[in-house]
Amino acid sequence: MKNKTILVKQNPILKVVILGNSNVGKSCLMNRFVSNSFSDHTLHTLGVEFLQKELNVNGIVYTLQIWDTAGQERFRTLRTPFYRGTDICLLTFAVDDVQSFKTVDSWKKEFLQYSRTTDANFPFLVVATKVDLENRVVSKDEANKWCSEYLSAPYVETSSKTDMNIETAFTLAVEIWASTERPSELKISHTNLVKLSRPINGSAACPTAEIVSPKCC
Amino acid sequence: MMDSNNTSKKFKEQLIKNVKKEVKQIMEEAVTRKFVHEESGSITSLCAAVEACLSQGLRRRALGLFKTSSTTALLHKMAKNFEPASIISQKVQEMENTDPNNSDSCATRAASVNSTLTSSITLPNVHPPPLTKKNSAGSGLGPASITLPKYLWIRLALFEKLLAVIIDHLVQNCSKYYEKDSLVADPDYGSILSSLLVGPCALDYSRTKSHDQFWTDPPADELVQRHRISSGYHTSPPCRTPINYRRNLHATSNDDNQRQTPISAKDYVESLHQNNRVTLLYGKNNVLVLPKDVTEPMAGYLSLHQTVSSLIIKWTPNQLMNCHSPGTNQNDHPEIDASDKSQYWDYAMNVNVDEIVYVHCHQQGNDNGGTIVLVAQDGVQQPPIHFPQGGHLLAFLTCLENGLLPHGQLDPPLWPQRGKGKVFPKLRRKGRSQIQDISNDLSSNTEESRDYVFQIISKARHEEFLSKGEEILDSKIWSMPSAANNMLNRVRGHLESSSTNSSTSTSSSLDPVASPLLINIQNTSKDTGDSLQILCETMKKQIISRAFYGWLAYCRHLTTVRTHLSGLVNTVIIDSNDAETGLTKEKWCSFKNDSNLVNDDTKLEIFRLTYFGGVQHDIRKEVWPFLLGHYKFGSTVEERNAVDLHCKQEYETTMSEWMAVEAIIRQKDRETMAANLAKLSSESTSGGDAPPPTPNTSKVLSQELSNDVFEDNINFSSDEDNPPVVDDTQLEHNVEICDNPTNQINTKKNIENIPKEIDCDKKSLSSDEGLGKDEVTEKDMTIKKNTSEDTSLYCPTSVIVTTNISQEKAMDNPNDENDKIDSKVNNNTSKLAVDDNEGTGGSNHEQRSACISPASSQGGIYPVELVENFGLNVHRIDKDVQRCDRNYPYFTLENLDKLRNIICTYVWDHLEMGYMQGMCDLVAPLLVILDDETLSYSCFCLLMERMSANFPHSGGAMDTHFANMRSLVQILDSEMFELMHENGDFTHFYFCYRWFLLDFKRELLYDDVFTVWETIWAAKEMSSSHFVLFFALALVETYRDIILANHMDFTDIIKFFNEMAEHHDAKTVLSLARNLVLQLQTLIENK
Repeated sequence: MKNKTILVKQNPILKVVILGNSNVGKSCLMNRFVSNSFSDHTLHTLGVEFLQKELNVNGIVYTLQIWDTAGQERFRTLRTPFYRGTDICLLTFAVDDVQSFKTVDSWKKEFLQYSRTTDANFPFLVVATKVDLENRVVSKDEANKWCSEYLSAPYVETSSKTDMNIETAFTLAVEIWASTERPSELKISHTNLVKLSRPINGSAACPTAEIVSPKCC
Repeated sequence: MMDSNNTSKKFKEQLIKNVKKEVKQIMEEAVTRKFVHEESGSITSLCAAVEACLSQGLRRRALGLFKTSSTTALLHKMAKNFEPASIISQKVQEMENTDPNNSDSCATRAASVNSTLTSSITLPNVHPPPLTKKNSAGSGLGPASITLPKYLWIRLALFEKLLAVIIDHLVQNCSKYYEKDSLVADPDYGSILSSLLVGPCALDYSRTKSHDQFWTDPPADELVQRHRISSGYHTSPPCRTPINYRRNLHATSNDDNQRQTPISAKDYVESLHQNNRVTLLYGKNNVLVLPKDVTEPMAGYLSLHQTVSSLIIKWTPNQLMNCHSPGTNQNDHPEIDASDKSQYWDYAMNVNVDEIVYVHCHQQGNDNGGTIVLVAQDGVQQPPIHFPQGGHLLAFLTCLENGLLPHGQLDPPLWPQRGKGKVFPKLRRKGRSQIQDISNDLSSNTEESRDYVFQIISKARHEEFLSKGEEILDSKIWSMPSAANNMLNRVRGHLESSSTNSSTSTSSSLDPVASPLLINIQNTSKDTGDSLQILCETMKKQIISRAFYGWLAYCRHLTTVRTHLSGLVNTVIIDSNDAETGLTKEKWCSFKNDSNLVNDDTKLEIFRLTYFGGVQHDIRKEVWPFLLGHYKFGSTVEERNAVDLHCKQEYETTMSEWMAVEAIIRQKDRETMAANLAKLSSESTSGGDAPPPTPNTSKVLSQELSNDVFEDNINFSSDEDNPPVVDDTQLEHNVEICDNPTNQINTKKNIENIPKEIDCDKKSLSSDEGLGKDEVTEKDMTIKKNTSEDTSLYCPTSVIVTTNISQEKAMDNPNDENDKIDSKVNNNTSKLAVDDNEGTGGSNHEQRSACISPASSQGGIYPVELVENFGLNVHRIDKDVQRCDRNYPYFTLENLDKLRNIICTYVWDHLEMGYMQGMCDLVAPLLVILDDETLSYSCFCLLMERMSANFPHSGGAMDTHFANMRSLVQILDSEMFELMHENGDFTHFYFCYRWFLLDFKRELLYDDVFTVWETIWAAKEMSSSHFVLFFALALVETYRDIILANHMDFTDIIKFFNEMAEHHDAKTVLSLARNLVLQLQTLIENK
């Protein structure tokens, strides 16, 4: 006698914001990841755009809510309201644009200021884009070193055009998120979600997954 | 003979075409979602198309396949000598052997089949393949019985990625299985078929991630399609709630009746689709319910849904569940016509658990199922829900209990028992012995009591009760399962309900008059005769006061409309008579007199035609300058030519000004580029031994370059936190050592490069050639690259870097006492000036005396700030122009250059405003239509008079737009407004941002953009200078039902409209927008 309960998983939802200078390829990064497509001539983003995608990291399916932002400074008032509640922040720069690399730090600062995160270990990931280009001016060593020493953020090199490391980058970002210590309230709410997403099979009388609430134990 | 050949050929063609279409559909689905769900309707369609191809010309007789019309037997035949086929064949047999009638085992599956059913119906179906109508593999997808999906083997082969291989094998060995003239045996079609399927076979099909993936994130298209299912029950067009006066009023009962059907229909569709907010906690089919006025219990689908705010219990009769599969409903109730379905909506239950206080459970005998009665706050009982046997009652309660957490609970709680999950609580409290006595009497065959009353306690309500001091929550109540106790509960329920009812009505703020009276009633209610009379009085007063407040609300509402919105529309309503045809070529010609003069009198008529019907495409080029105000109506040809000439002169003058500056910028860029390259190459040659790029060096560098993004972003400028430490001595040291050689090199290079530069500038001044310029620039770059690489061989790389910095330093401090460097810079620039003179000598330069230092005659020395500021803008413009509408054929490199020139010229003239992302989008359509740089520039300037205020930092127009949108939605669609209020963020209307910024340019296809833009321009004269608002509102209204039905929040709506971009039906939206203007005009007019 099997149960008749329909269990519906609810994936943990992670909000990911992609930041970086104009024309470093933020939208391309997102489009490659979400729809596996690439266009040489993506229009510049105005305001914010938003796509969603499931990603399986170490057996847990996460729903990534990816927010693509406009790179021009002038649009700051438009993008900063969306920083709040972000779980992961991708800081991007293009390897053929030294300026974009230099502003990575400013982006991080802007993010920290407007996201109002209290988390000292907020998960950042620095993503170098366009590594397929031949005229790169930011070397891997330089960027890597600077990221680890100064930003203490992991660094990954990608190319949306050749689909290099795109999924890896997002997977890495989720892993960083999963491994960082964060304020307890967050942990708890996510624990709940994770538990829900795994139905406990085999118990005949009680088919539903139990919600592990902080109260029990 | 020929004839039959032809028809058969046509038929084959059609078959292949179908396959192609389905493959395309599935590939598109895969691209947009990166996976395709196994139960996706497109897979079924594809399989059907493949099956049709395979069935055609199959040698059934020879193969002994006459018994079945499906191709499954063919697969089994192939399996004997083809490995992939045998794998699939085995799988098919396995699946067929599992007992399909074991419905009990897979309720989950049943439900999912059910939901797939609805979704696949929404997808466009292929023409039913002629040979597969009676396909044995699939029929009757009823919710109760499990059936294997259609085209099972093709499906499995596709999932296993073997379909293409199998078909290929068939094609290779076609003589064995197929007639000569069959599709598979056809030399062309056969291979086309197998190669078509390679793509779908490479996809990943998901099954395990089913429910959430399939339902939580439906793309916009699917939402639109789902809406079409339920909209069958809608009687109303999207714009059906034009002016809603019932803002604060309770809906009348009449309204309720009208709405019941559509709302339940919507709910029904929703109840099958889990989405972000509604989680399906429990689902069970064939649960019996005995609705009112029905003699026999009806079977239906019971489900428990969790929304953000509450739990909902739903029960939908089977008759409704089947209504989308006409094949099955006759099995259940053949006598019921499909049109009678609506009556079942009355039986469907939709209970909010918040309103439920007690859950009565009755179990009959030993595991014979059980019955649940839900008792609401007001004491009203829902029809009993009877569960079939098998512990479903307990399962339901368990889910309910889980769903109630953390804010509520069942009292008494279910008893967790190790290994068995939850069981009914053992009753140990007061009166237990008594209960056992009773239960022993009543049901002697069990020891545990069979009937329970659970109370649903929500924290909020609990506290409310406690504060009232009501002690009816006596723990004894639930422990007495007898009928008498039920009675008691019911009585209490009624008492409560009367009190809650009165309190709700008094608290509704509309009854200040009535409430004292009600209190009065309660006080004197002992005297029943009096109280009845008072009750009548109260009701009378309530009715009157309601009417009064309704009227008051309406008046206030209209005042709001008049004060806040009357400015949005023109007061004069213009008739649309005969104007729907738009401004055609004939009409346009008829407006012009012999001397090509467009009379001022006809101006209004031209605007009217444009507003209601748009402009014919061929004459847009001629008409747009008038619409935008570049030409005056009534101006003569000579006057217009003069305007053009004047514009051209100004345009060219401005261009020559900024191009001179651009040359300087280019030069600087090249030096920076060389420096960067040199730095990089030095790093790579030195094998990573180069000094680590500490933050400090980076900061020095970032000072040297203008900051692209954070130029006015002092807040987080890193320099504040850690002042950069520059080793001055070392720097100077380097300069001293290396200054001489570099200086020489630089000067030499300058001499080489500048003439070229000027040459090409001259070319582009003559307005047509950008291509050559690019080439030259590239050449320059390579030369430069080479030289810099050469240099790095001879002298330390720091040379270039330091020189650069020193130069930069000189630029930063023009009054620097470092004469040597200063003179060098002057030297360079004067050279440039001289060359410039030679190159452009004679052309009519006009000096911008404010910017150009008087020392130079032409293009000479510019203030550093000006060069930097413009340089910053040029870089941004270049980045954006390069990627502007490249998919639109007009934008070749040559035309992109025109685009760039227009924007640069505009920015040069408005340097304080600077370049803003989005300008490209505004110029592009103008350039496409006018195809003339000067004219486009002039029109763009005129357009920007209105648009520039939308951009950030240059006027608060966007906030005004949002505020107006808010008011409009409030007035014109109160339901929508409520939804927005629920999701606070929503009210910011961010999702409209791009709409207003670009006049919907990115939301629509190019052809539609033209029409919409014209209408907006014409609307200023015809109906409203804020027509954009109404177009935006029309877009929202077009999808209002979907937005409401899916209860979209802020992020959903952003995502929805992002995805819907370029998918709108512009014509419909436009006419809706015109209607909305008209509605508001009428509302204001009828004072």
